[in-house]
Amino acid sequence: MENTVIQTNKLTKQFIKWRGLSSPRHPFEKKIFTAVRDVNIEVRRGEIFGLLGPNGAGKTTLTKMMCTLILPSSGSATIAGYDLVRQQEKVKASIALVSSEERSFYWRLTGRQNLEFFAALRGISREKAARRIPEVLDQVGITEAANRRFQEYSTGMKQRLGLARGLLADPEIFFMDEPTKGLDPLATKHIHDFIRENLAARGKTVFLATHHLAEAEHVCDRVGIMYDGEMKAHGQVDELVGDFTLADYFHDIISESTVEH
Amino acid sequence: MLRKPLAFLKKDFLMEISYRFSFVLQFASIFFSVVLFYFVGQLLGEAPSVQRSISEYGGDYFSFVLIGIAFQNFLSVGLGSFSNNIRAEQMIGTLEAMLVSPTRLPTIVLSSSQWSFAFTSIRVGAYLLLGGLFFGVSFGGARVLPALTALVLTVVAFSSLGIISASFIMIFKKGDPIAWAISTSSTLLGGVYYPITILPDWLQIASYAFPITYALRAIRLSLLQGQGFSQVGGDLGALVIFSAITLPISLLIFRFAVRRAKRDGSLAYY
Repeated sequence: MENTVIQTNKLTKQFIKWRGLSSPRHPFEKKIFTAVRDVNIEVRRGEIFGLLGPNGAGKTTLTKMMCTLILPSSGSATIAGYDLVRQQEKVKASIALVSSEERSFYWRLTGRQNLEFFAALRGISREKAARRIPEVLDQVGITEAANRRFQEYSTGMKQRLGLARGLLADPEIFFMDEPTKGLDPLATKHIHDFIRENLAARGKTVFLATHHLAEAEHVCDRVGIMYDGEMKAHGQVDELVGDFTLADYFHDIISESTVEH
Repeated sequence: MLRKPLAFLKKDFLMEISYRFSFVLQFASIFFSVVLFYFVGQLLGEAPSVQRSISEYGGDYFSFVLIGIAFQNFLSVGLGSFSNNIRAEQMIGTLEAMLVSPTRLPTIVLSSSQWSFAFTSIRVGAYLLLGGLFFGVSFGGARVLPALTALVLTVVAFSSLGIISASFIMIFKKGDPIAWAISTSSTLLGGVYYPITILPDWLQIASYAFPITYALRAIRLSLLQGQGFSQVGGDLGALVIFSAITLPISLLIFRFAVRRAKRDGSLAYY
């Protein structure tokens, strides 16, 4: 479909673990763990797609795969029209990854110095970065903290700087891995508003991995429910849940899957 | 083209000077190291056997060892900086943020070591300056160009080994035996603190397997004896051959290691 910016076809990731020295009699015996199994999804341009699942469902592995950080074992995917494996540099130029990982910045540098560094890595010229950095700092509302060291930021400010970094190159797709983890309700609301008003409203596509049902329900246009590495269901929230709440529907799916196993 | 490497250089410089005390302390340690070896030189320097064994380099032990310890820094940084910097980025958590940008991993690895090399050059300069200004080492007849050529080749040769070491870290994360084995053997056999001529014959033969042996010989002869390309050409040639063999091998191993780490999903693990 022309309007599709994320498309996966039976995307699978298996991790192989050798027993090694933990089992001296069978060191070469391997154990295969399937983190993501045959996932098919399509996300349209300008859509907020929520990837919902409990801890260990495979959300982060799937997100990292789509950001080129992990190679798929089988299946295929296109991101912004580029092949995930063969055109990695073009995929990376089209995306931003915003995670809850506050360790992804240099704590001894200021917010501005961090952004200057990551702007260079994104291939943004010095002149453009000098214009762009104040813009994105303003967009996320931390202009006044720009010259403070990252280590002095609150959790909410750290998360906002993560958003600012994502905005630097104005990419087409934003992958967000639990972007509100550890935030208070007010800071969470700011992030939700930001996603809707500054990203989706500007035609950006957002792929949001979360285990917060309310977050998926309130922010996302469509959701996919992942459990045990498989996509159990996906679609618009209203269509999926019918007369139930998303929480009831989610728990039903998890219960059914647990019984199957 | 230089935007990304320069951004790494600036970032690492800012990080380094953010720890001001440590920054100053490193220069203080150079001073004390030079003083220490000056007195060792005073003790040993008069002994005829010592003067005989380093007569090729002018016979002054302090000058001999000053060059050895100064340029051994390049061995340490070439061998260790690639793997140390990758591991540091893995541990502080910034590697993944870099890898998701449109910047190739080799650019990240090479650029993240620039500051280490730049800072080492400053440190080596400090060693030589201190030795020349305050401790009577004479660089009057030094031939700078052959010494610089030897230095560049030395950096390439050591870096090839360092890239292999970084590949190891990429997969096994810690406990790299390559850097340890080469660093220890090079210090023992490469003529840092004493000339290789005092070693038993079989160890002298073994010492020629390490690039530091050729590097230190060429640099000492150029800086202390004013010898030119024709005299140190053999050592420079050995360094070229060494680099020509190890550099492509190291890049192949590194490529394999990156692919393996991406397949295992362990790029950012530590």
